[in-house]
Amino acid sequence: MITAWINTHLLTFLVFAPLLWGLFLLCFPERQAPLVKLLGLLGAVAIMLVACVQLFHLIPDPAGTFFTERSPWFTAVNIPVDYHLAVDGLSFWLVVLTVFLVPLTLLGTWNSIGKRAGSAVALFLILESGMLGALVAQDLLVFYLFWEAMLLPMYFLIAVWGGDERRYAATKFMLFTLAGSLLWLVALLFLAGKAGSFAPAVMAQTASTLSFHAQCTLFLAFALAFAIKVPLFPLHTWLPDAHTQAPTGGSVILAGVLLKLGSYGFLRFAIPMFPSAAVHYASLMAGLSVVAIVYGALVAMMQTDIKKLVAYSSVSHMGFVMLGIASLSLIGTQGAMLQMLNHGISTGALFLLVGMLYDRAHTRKISDFGGVAVKMPIFTAFFMIVTLSSIGLPLTNGFMGEFLILNGTYTAGFAWARTAACVATLGVLLSAVYMLWMVKRVFWGPVNPAEDSGTAHLHSDLNAREIAVLIPIVVLIFWMGIHPQTFLAQSEGTVARALVQAHAPAPLEHLPAVALSAEVK
Amino acid sequence: MTLTNGEISAILPLLIPALGACLLPIAALDSDQATVKWIRGFMFFTALLALTGGFIYLTRLWSTGAQPSYGALHMDRLAQFGGIFVLVAAALAVLQLWDHLHQEGWVKGETLSLLLFSVVGMVLFTATSNLLLLFLGLELLSLPLYALTSTLRMRDRAMEGGMKYFITGAVASSCFLMGSVLLYGATGTLDAAAAGRLLMTPGTALDPIALVGGALLLSGFLFKVSAVPFHQWTPDVYEAAPHPISGFMSVATKGVAIIALFRVMAVGLPVLGLRMQSAMAVLAVLTLAVGNLAALAQPNIKRMLAYSSISHAGYLLLGFVAGTHPAYAGMLFYLLAYLAMNMGAFGALTAFGLVGDDVSFEQLKGQGWKRPGLAIAATFCMFSLAGLPPFAGFYGKYMIFKELILQGHVGLAVFGVTASLVSVYYYLRLPVTLFIEKPSEAAERAASERPAVVAPFAGATVLVCGLLVIILGLIPGTIMATFARPAVQETIQLPR
Repeated sequence: MITAWINTHLLTFLVFAPLLWGLFLLCFPERQAPLVKLLGLLGAVAIMLVACVQLFHLIPDPAGTFFTERSPWFTAVNIPVDYHLAVDGLSFWLVVLTVFLVPLTLLGTWNSIGKRAGSAVALFLILESGMLGALVAQDLLVFYLFWEAMLLPMYFLIAVWGGDERRYAATKFMLFTLAGSLLWLVALLFLAGKAGSFAPAVMAQTASTLSFHAQCTLFLAFALAFAIKVPLFPLHTWLPDAHTQAPTGGSVILAGVLLKLGSYGFLRFAIPMFPSAAVHYASLMAGLSVVAIVYGALVAMMQTDIKKLVAYSSVSHMGFVMLGIASLSLIGTQGAMLQMLNHGISTGALFLLVGMLYDRAHTRKISDFGGVAVKMPIFTAFFMIVTLSSIGLPLTNGFMGEFLILNGTYTAGFAWARTAACVATLGVLLSAVYMLWMVKRVFWGPVNPAEDSGTAHLHSDLNAREIAVLIPIVVLIFWMGIHPQTFLAQSEGTVARALVQAHAPAPLEHLPAVALSAEVK
Repeated sequence: MTLTNGEISAILPLLIPALGACLLPIAALDSDQATVKWIRGFMFFTALLALTGGFIYLTRLWSTGAQPSYGALHMDRLAQFGGIFVLVAAALAVLQLWDHLHQEGWVKGETLSLLLFSVVGMVLFTATSNLLLLFLGLELLSLPLYALTSTLRMRDRAMEGGMKYFITGAVASSCFLMGSVLLYGATGTLDAAAAGRLLMTPGTALDPIALVGGALLLSGFLFKVSAVPFHQWTPDVYEAAPHPISGFMSVATKGVAIIALFRVMAVGLPVLGLRMQSAMAVLAVLTLAVGNLAALAQPNIKRMLAYSSISHAGYLLLGFVAGTHPAYAGMLFYLLAYLAMNMGAFGALTAFGLVGDDVSFEQLKGQGWKRPGLAIAATFCMFSLAGLPPFAGFYGKYMIFKELILQGHVGLAVFGVTASLVSVYYYLRLPVTLFIEKPSEAAERAASERPAVVAPFAGATVLVCGLLVIILGLIPGTIMATFARPAVQETIQLPR
């Protein structure tokens, strides 16, 4: 009976099972933390298995969506709100990424949470609920509710389990995100009031009847909320603080999934709902993305803290994602979809690795290290692979994403497209500079001779648990680099539909574009 | 004189708590040490019984759909809603008082009696549009509250707060009375609805005397709502009063003043109400600004909650600016949410055993991990006050902002959400203090020397409130359809 119910309400199960399991785990006393960690991990693995088995075995309905669930929820002030969940090409791989990253994070940070580990595990599961809910919500108010619901568990993860400046970082994270989303709520209510519905399609229809000026204002209100989450330059300042202060697991989830919801919001809502405004502001978005790419890379280069370096590299990488989206071309957007997954995996893995190093050395300062490769060869091997994938070496995932984005941007018909692509290419170069320079200083060279240096504290290489966490990541890095089609095919149809009205002008002249599979499922 | 059944059922909601209020002082006379424990138990039981009796009676009346009236007293849906609202708030306050007064070591019978008399005044206040009866209700609800503020009369601050409340309250009452007199002079009737009809007679210009009278009436109401510029008493009085009484004042007084404001300004005197809409908008903006900004800098939790209560008056006033049926229904929903979250917030102070003059965040540091269930419930109440989804407070704001936007006041809505963004910062301080900050060693030592906090009832009320803000947030549609919307639709006929 339960399996039958899950079959018909898979998404409800997926969204609320982690929440209920997390609440259940919260009831355990603190001294049971090891048991709670085990139960939490088992729960997360079970959810991953159910999700993967179900998602990969079903065929989408004609609209390209899976598992649609729809029932009226409540009517407030004359506007009905539908409890409408579905998975489609845009959210498919992000859902998989989420259910995949949570158990890996729990396992990867098994011993590093420290105090009150039980509550932290429970919060991770509650957070998973919020993320999955936001990814599968098809009704805008439901999306908004889940979007805000992600905030609280993340806030507590940073504020309770974070570093020394955790209060400041957590509050900044909260206020920045809320500032965007509250203004967005006003725009949402305005449009819903006009449309009499929270269904994106109906709202888009209504939006198209408004004046161009009104559309632009609404688009900006939507874009502000999403751009803060991405985060797009100059709204990124909360990110380095939040990442540096968050516990390892929090950083992994933040980089892996939470940031993606910003770019996902652009693709799912802001651009399809306000196509003409999106075309109007594409140059602005692309300009800010390019600045984010170069600026993020330059700032990352000068960091003395490894984790902060990875955080700024996030700004740079998410700039690529936003550039792909701003190009409004199929190739660029598909690249952005892929780059979202890449960034989730590579940067998530980098945060995990930095966390593993920190657990041993209790420092993250680059100058405290040197010669780590001698002490921890296996760790170094994994770190190198992930580093190269983050730089975007061919055959790794990073290359495919960045290549598609740059190609899509260059061939888009905007006047600024070629300049933007060329400047952004500089970002690829810079990413090699800051990553490899950091690797050189931390891993190679002579062992740091200082008594209290980080390297001196490294007594053990990775254990079996840590290797077990990293192996699936490495497999994915190569799989996505060698056969990206697995991941691209899913989203192509949906992305094309999202861009139906908001596409870039035709290319100025014919340019060889990368041939993508024409098979749209 | 004989009363018909309908007339009796109209006044019973007033009589039941009044009867309890009269019985209580008799019980309080006995101060024999051997029986004092039993007497205290009996007093609290009687008070709860009276409140529960009134609650059951009103819910029955609600479910039958009867709307009896007796003269100018109309026990209609809106009054029933207001009565239920007040009785629930009072019952929560009584439960919290038991713990709080025992913690303070000052359990006296008259406290409960005064509280019940105030409840009678509040029920009366929501149930009439006759200006004289309204004044009676206003005084009956205020006078006991002045005394209740000074419950802990061995403290200077309590006496000072009570006196301050009394003097400012007297000014507000005189404004109200003067306004009634002017309206009576202009129209020759004391009934707000009849006066409104007279003022709307086509072809007659609006009498300036009536306008001044309306403005004075409004000031009287706004004082009770604690809107800027009639707010200065709020922090001092809340700080002086026992925690449950502060909670009760912030919730019930504000609630009934809003409901009576519906009845008088929106329904009875729509001409004046429309004239004053822009003034209302200005006051709402000022209230939001002052409440939220001042709350940022308060080291004392009760003062922070007092300024937060001012800011919530601002959101409610925004509903008046929108001035439509759904907006009024949204305000009633907001009041329900506010009942749960603010009684929970003030109840948490008792449940964590904060006593004495200075109720600062300092004393709560690190307490969350010692009593997680309670702390989580209090945190939920705070998030709800901040208006974060999926808690009840979000939907209250949602419905008001939505109507504002539909009515074209987008700028006001943007100001409102900005204000609630600011509020997140100070509401987060309680969870931060409870869960994140570490108590100083001196505080740890002092805490280990003090006896453990005993507050089973207050703790239970906080848990119930924490649960309520979630439930209200999960089924806002049902609550709107069953309570808020009927109360508005069957009572308020809007002029436009």
